[in-house]
Amino acid sequence: MTVANLVQIISSGLAMGSIYILVALGLYITHLTVHKVNFGQGDFLMVATFLMLGTRAAGLPLLVCIVLTLIILALMGWLLDVIAIRPLDRKKSLKIGAFSWILTTAGIALILQNVIELGFGKTAHYSPPLFSTGRDHIVQVFGAGLFFEEILVILAATIIVLGFYIFMFRTRWGKSIQAVAFNPEAAKLLGVNTTLVKTGVFVIASLLAAVGGMLLGPLIAINAHIGLVLTIKALIVAAIGGFANPVGILVGGILFGVLEAFSNYFDSSFGDLYPLLAALIIIAIWPSGLFSERHADVR
Amino acid sequence: MMKIKFKKLGVILAFTAGLAVAGPSSAQVKVGVIQGLSGPPAIVDFGESYLQGIKLALKDYEARGGKTKIELIVYDDEANPQRAVSLAQRLIQNDKVSAIIGTVSSGNVMAMAPIIQQAGVPLVAGPSIATGITQKFINENPSFIFRCSMVEQFQIDQMLDWGVKNFQRIGLVHSTTGYGSFAAKEIIEGLKQRGVTLVAIEAAAPGVNDLTPQMVKLKDADAQLVLNFHESFELPFRPMPRIGYKPVVAGNWGLSSQKVVEIVGKDAIEGTVMGQALDITTPRAVEFDAKAKKEFGSAYRWPVVAALGYDAGQIVFAAIDNVGKSDSSAIRDALENIEGVQAVSATPSKPFSSKDHECLDMEHVFLGVWQDGVVKRLNQQ
Amino acid sequence: MSDEQSATGWHNYNKIKYVFGLVFVLALPWLPINQFYIFIAQTFCYTAIAVIGLNLLLGLSGQMSLGQAGFYALGAYGSALTSLHFGWPIMLSIVFGTMVAAFGGLVVGTYALRTRGLYLAMTTLAFGYVIDILAQRWVDLTGGTMGLIGISQFEGFGPVSGAAMLLYVSGLSLLIAQLISDYINETRIGRGLRAIRESEVFAASVGIQTHIWKTLIFSFSAALAGLGGALFVHQSGYVGSDAFTVRLSIALLIAIVLGGLGSKSGPIIGTLILLGIVELIAGVHKYGLIIYGSILLVVLLAFPKGASGILESILGLIRKKDTMVAASDIDNASEDIYFALNDLEQQSTSITVQEVSKSYSGVKAVDNVTVEIKKGEVHGLIGPNGAGKSTVINMIAGIYVPDNGKILLGGKDISGYSVAKRAQSGLVRTFQNLQLIEGVSVLDNVLLGIQPQRSELKCFFYWLLGRPTEIPEKKRALSILRFLGILHLVDRLPSELPYGHRKLLELARAIAQGPRVLLLDEPVAGMNSQEAQEIASVITRLRDRGVTILLVEHNMEFVMSICDQISVLNFGQLIAKGTPPEIQSNADVIKAYFGTGKES
Repeated sequence: MTVANLVQIISSGLAMGSIYILVALGLYITHLTVHKVNFGQGDFLMVATFLMLGTRAAGLPLLVCIVLTLIILALMGWLLDVIAIRPLDRKKSLKIGAFSWILTTAGIALILQNVIELGFGKTAHYSPPLFSTGRDHIVQVFGAGLFFEEILVILAATIIVLGFYIFMFRTRWGKSIQAVAFNPEAAKLLGVNTTLVKTGVFVIASLLAAVGGMLLGPLIAINAHIGLVLTIKALIVAAIGGFANPVGILVGGILFGVLEAFSNYFDSSFGDLYPLLAALIIIAIWPSGLFSERHADVR
Repeated sequence: MMKIKFKKLGVILAFTAGLAVAGPSSAQVKVGVIQGLSGPPAIVDFGESYLQGIKLALKDYEARGGKTKIELIVYDDEANPQRAVSLAQRLIQNDKVSAIIGTVSSGNVMAMAPIIQQAGVPLVAGPSIATGITQKFINENPSFIFRCSMVEQFQIDQMLDWGVKNFQRIGLVHSTTGYGSFAAKEIIEGLKQRGVTLVAIEAAAPGVNDLTPQMVKLKDADAQLVLNFHESFELPFRPMPRIGYKPVVAGNWGLSSQKVVEIVGKDAIEGTVMGQALDITTPRAVEFDAKAKKEFGSAYRWPVVAALGYDAGQIVFAAIDNVGKSDSSAIRDALENIEGVQAVSATPSKPFSSKDHECLDMEHVFLGVWQDGVVKRLNQQ
Repeated sequence: MSDEQSATGWHNYNKIKYVFGLVFVLALPWLPINQFYIFIAQTFCYTAIAVIGLNLLLGLSGQMSLGQAGFYALGAYGSALTSLHFGWPIMLSIVFGTMVAAFGGLVVGTYALRTRGLYLAMTTLAFGYVIDILAQRWVDLTGGTMGLIGISQFEGFGPVSGAAMLLYVSGLSLLIAQLISDYINETRIGRGLRAIRESEVFAASVGIQTHIWKTLIFSFSAALAGLGGALFVHQSGYVGSDAFTVRLSIALLIAIVLGGLGSKSGPIIGTLILLGIVELIAGVHKYGLIIYGSILLVVLLAFPKGASGILESILGLIRKKDTMVAASDIDNASEDIYFALNDLEQQSTSITVQEVSKSYSGVKAVDNVTVEIKKGEVHGLIGPNGAGKSTVINMIAGIYVPDNGKILLGGKDISGYSVAKRAQSGLVRTFQNLQLIEGVSVLDNVLLGIQPQRSELKCFFYWLLGRPTEIPEKKRALSILRFLGILHLVDRLPSELPYGHRKLLELARAIAQGPRVLLLDEPVAGMNSQEAQEIASVITRLRDRGVTILLVEHNMEFVMSICDQISVLNFGQLIAKGTPPEIQSNADVIKAYFGTGKES
């Protein structure tokens, strides 16, 4: 394999891995705080890609498109919490209620898919690049031609992960989130507005999905049903990285994305299955993250 | 109060009774249409375009004063064979149709055809292209299965003949679906018969987003002609600029969709060759094109598929009009013997016979090429 | 009148509805109706079978599976390929397909042992996705989306058409599946599954080997899904990979959510409604996903018990189950008190915690603690907050593994035993935060603790005939309830009881387990003095019967009044041991609780 090919593959892998990381971080933060995730996280990202597509097609300036998408996704995150998650907290009697948020968030995902399908039709769409016109903006790296958008994705994701890390561990808000994650009652006593935090993390997760969507849209063919696969992969990345640590997710996402790219190169028919299977086996052997020492759920 | 209520009720009852007695004044014949209208985007493109043709054909039929009243019942099989089968059952038993047209996935057609054959209802299959659809039933006495669409074998044969004549190094990229794998088999076999081996064979999943690895391998193998049999027809083109690779691309008729040129761009698609059955320059095609654009606007994006749908529709409607009532058996006979068809596509004026239930035969299929944003007939020296 | 004939008689045979269902299915092909309805009836039958499987897995044992379509596919292809390529007779292929799916369920179920909740949902989702992709792309095997055609179909038999044969086979299979499901729901297996759903630790503590149960229920549920899939492919003689996407998994989930998770009639009702919706929205098909998504939301948020729950409230059915006991049984129960509790004295034994230590991330929670409790002794374990009491209790129960030291039960080293095995050896515990099965009656909660007296198969046949089941166990349970003074609550739900009675209920269950040693974790926490008195008197009566008891408590009055010996922990170490008066005057103990006078 030539160096150029190698660079090509690694860069595709990093780009997709970055998207998985962005989505997985959203899952991580909600899981940390309220032990629930949005099973439609990938579909939120899908909505963002279409919002960008629609607003750009309508001729709005780029900045407006971005801001609009962010606002709408933030709103969706808030609504998700209010409609599909919070009400279930009150229904503790039905024990399945402990996990019925999986089904309610999945229900919302289905609705989103249908809405987008109604609005944009069922055929595949291609989103215009963010910062270039046409698809000819190519950068040469070690003899390989990379789309500028791809490099942008990798850069943006890195910056966001760093920013996220700083946010979680260095700012006061981040510490509030951790407090609520650790012990909501105690956090309340310390003056943290737990309700705001619990809803806030879903808004943050949706914003992460929004950014992922903005970056991913120009890279691939989008249609109303790309969400599910993204959700599955992001869940797996979050699980490998351990739902406990954003750096773990970063590493997990990079590994997964690059492995996927290589595996597609060598076996183009079944390539994307291998990383999935490998990840499932890893989780079977080291179910880390959720499983600290035999956690007695009697407390 | 009650009296008034009874009066109202009485009026309604009388009205509906009147309707029931009156019934359809002239014989009404129902035609069922099953198409893939949701699901994978590739399927939807086919399904919607073919349906556009059928609807336009019905409109023209009524405008021309067709005597028999025809009602279309359209169902979406969601590209799901189980659904197709249960919809076929429903059309036959519940809706009591006299003919059925459809669908996109050859798998769906093969699943429902036996049921339709057994029920004695004529089926005009389309736009499915799997080679054996009518062959499987042609020896039935009589066969109710017809098809008005491209036949995969024909376009592959034409393409291979041309490819082998003009290129030394040929590569293939295909999808891992039944369609893609089947086409790959036919191509490899066909090339072997012509004494040629492919320099590279790449496969990709149907839903994949990016074909860079595959195109890189094809470039490494120095393929001058790339045979493109992946449902997302535009995908092989996307990585080309960045890897600096510009082979000639040839594929099945999917490459003639307007959507492809919109995504890929006029320049990138220039010179791409595909199987065709519609010569856009003929007067009837020009007229059809204009009518379709007017009727459907930008939703009309695939002339050849819509044209075949139109021809399927007009053939079925003409056959029904010849019979004049909902007699499936008679309609089948009328279909088989139909003459004087003024087809938009390359379908001849007498498309069928007792041994041939295909609209298009080998000689009606030709190769098209993208030139300056339009698909023209490929001139082969 | 003998016990067997007392409660339910032939006239009360509630299986009669199944007889009607069977007759209906048999008659259907002969009715002068559109043949299309036969097709729909077939679809209903095999889909309902798969939904029953999901109900057992998710509804009863609380394991979230988002990939049932994968098992459905395994059954489908298993049957299709053997009948198509090997020419196997159709019934054999169907059985084979079911077994392939069962095996798949075993594999995934074993995997499920390491995961729970979210992780389980995620891995089953991934599993379903992987199977879908394999089916789609392994074209040589499955035909991919184009699929396999010409799969054998049922042949007619005399006047009975092939379609009718399929209907009969599917209908009969559905009947059997529903009967098994009802049986599970009403008896011991269902109780155990529900316990697992509540909390696996809790289930283990009543002696249920959760690993085995979870894997088996996974496999059984997968087998049912596979049976559905196998019947499906023979309906039209065709199978294509499009049938096995995540949409199918979601449809099955919607069916059971609609019908009512964990209910008996949920699968049937839910499948009926789902099929009805599918047919109805054939017209407004483009809003299909919105409809499905909204159903999930609305049902889960507003009607979590689903349609069967609504039906129950409309029909005003009081929880009429086979656990309903006749008045005579209650009276008879009094005679059996001594019978049920006699063994306790004989069984009770000593327990020793020998030099155990436990550290978490460097902090020594328990440091070289030894507690010896003699047979029949009531031993209190006290200490300030954070002293390590709960850690000790959990180590005895088997939830935590000590870093060093041993646990001896009647002289036997049980340090290597799992939680379930300890429970089965007679080490019974209650929980600080009360573990009960909320959705079933008081009687069922107590029955949970009792070992079955009759073989499961025998029990099933009695049940099938409508005879009352589990009579000896029920009598034992009733007598225990009487002993604790809550017999009058036998049919209530735990959620209807005040806190004090819930505690007594848990105690009843613990006694039902036939403890050799009883571990009580804060038995009077959160109770007012009157309730505490009740508990205290019960424990006294238990002590009088010779039961060995170790209790952890903060209520000093209670502890001092009832314990023979007390051990005191502070900062993980044993600082004092002795009789109540000795402890009360022990300087170290006073210092641990109150600090020295000089520091205040």
